[in-house]
Amino acid sequence: MNIVVLAKQVPDPEAFVEIRGDGTGLEIEPKFATNLFDEFALEEALRIREKHGGKVKVITLGGGKATEVLRTGIAMGADEALLLDDPAFFDGDGYATALALSRAIKKDPFDVVLCGKQATDDDRGEIGPMVAQFLNVPHVGGITKLEIADGKATAESPIEGNKAVVEVSLPAVFTTAKGLNEARVPLITGVMKAMKVQIPKATPSELGLSQEELGKTGSKVRIERYLPPKKRAGVRLITGDAAEAAAEAVRILVDEVRVI
Amino acid sequence: MERLLIFVETKGDRPRKVSMELLSEGQKLRTQGYAVEALVMGKASEALRQEVLPCVDRLVSLTDAVLQSYTAEGYALALANHVRSINPKVILAGATQIGRDFLPRVAVMLGAGIASDATEIRWKEDPVKIIRPVHGGRALSQVSFVNYPSIITTRPNSFPLEAQAGTPGEYVEKEAAMSFEDVKAKVVKVEEVTKGKVDVTEADVIVTGGRGMKGPENFAMLEELAALLGGVVGATRSVVDAKWRDQQDQVGKSGKTVSPKLYIAVGLSGAIHHIMGMDTSKVIVAINKDEKANIFNYADYGIVGDLFQVVPAMTQDIKKRLGK
Repeated sequence: MNIVVLAKQVPDPEAFVEIRGDGTGLEIEPKFATNLFDEFALEEALRIREKHGGKVKVITLGGGKATEVLRTGIAMGADEALLLDDPAFFDGDGYATALALSRAIKKDPFDVVLCGKQATDDDRGEIGPMVAQFLNVPHVGGITKLEIADGKATAESPIEGNKAVVEVSLPAVFTTAKGLNEARVPLITGVMKAMKVQIPKATPSELGLSQEELGKTGSKVRIERYLPPKKRAGVRLITGDAAEAAAEAVRILVDEVRVI
Repeated sequence: MERLLIFVETKGDRPRKVSMELLSEGQKLRTQGYAVEALVMGKASEALRQEVLPCVDRLVSLTDAVLQSYTAEGYALALANHVRSINPKVILAGATQIGRDFLPRVAVMLGAGIASDATEIRWKEDPVKIIRPVHGGRALSQVSFVNYPSIITTRPNSFPLEAQAGTPGEYVEKEAAMSFEDVKAKVVKVEEVTKGKVDVTEADVIVTGGRGMKGPENFAMLEELAALLGGVVGATRSVVDAKWRDQQDQVGKSGKTVSPKLYIAVGLSGAIHHIMGMDTSKVIVAINKDEKANIFNYADYGIVGDLFQVVPAMTQDIKKRLGK
């Protein structure tokens, strides 16, 4: 079983995010973490390998700290990693990024592709379904259970209050949601191994892609600027004992802001 | 004339609330020179037609058997083919689990740009500009498209629900000429987990409880308050992890992102993960005994006090006010 995980190193959810003065970019405190949803993908990949054999390959796209997520994957137990760190790959929209990732997956035979349902920085949630479409394979989104047998997978995903059970033939893509599993903590031997491992890279030309198809130039959507979110005026504390405060809160909600 | 296509997602035999928000938007644009089309998978019920037709010039229902159950491939192929036949400038859908799951495939099929989870659309700009939250709402990004058609999914509760009576459009049923061979995924079954319950993403009022609730049994008081306000009960991550509440009710980064009119945060500290999921709520009320709780930094109104006294008192007061 050839299992591929697409994973991303993202700013730590607690990291400070500030908009650059001219709105052209974000200044983000350099604290990083594995994208929460990708941890479930990594864990599930390892569980599939433990049950069915095969190998787990982790792929990421990005420069600088991006490679850390590959080391995390290897520390957890992944067999291989692949890094797309040519600047031509950077700053793409979902489309350009998914195109590059799908080509990277296609370099070798694959049966199962797992990735988090969305990254907690861009919050686009487009990569999994787009990669599946570029690969022309089915996908099941936001899964909370996955079973594999006889070249087929059965996945459960909660959809708007219902639970769908979907069967797909492999190869297929699955995007992972909370509830699927609990990610393991890497063993110290894994961490040691991950620190030393040489991480292979792929260039655009090795993936059969031209500069025009990638990054910003290959994007269908452009980020023009960043704006601050609407600020609240600051909390108005309602005082008094419980009964008084409750009555005043209800009065405000009914008479002042009229949301009741 | 510029054409718009709205994908109508259904719940039971009715359009989902977020679809009606988009149809309201469509109805406005119809008076500004857009031709507005809607697409629904499966036969449209009488109730659905009554709600949708006043907002559009035409509603097409695709009746193929393979489209009776949701699959990303099936919906994507049907929608992409329909887009090719009517050539809209913009395709709109709700940023629901389904919308966010299959529209990215449509984007690839059409070579189109997609902006997911938009909270604002600036129609007067050309190309159309979109505002969408990033980094869990800590910044907004303004994006535009390099070509048409372009695809936009919108966050539920972000656009006003204000469809009015209007000249009903045409209703057309047809087949997309798709078969089960076109779709590799097979839906084995769909279990209704929460029959008829409003999803937290579409609720107007959410009363969320955190660890301060002390145990699952105490959520009954939040259920009572929420029901009184026509809302639903949400939960924090720690409450879901402790199995006090269902995963589907979780508000926050690893759960759902919500934008209700009123969000009442009860006995929760306001971890950044939680804030990311509810910061776009219109009015936020926090009840917590710890005056230093982070939730007060994000609330409009705060009560520092014992939730076990404040919540029942609020419930009683609201009952009086509403004459119940």
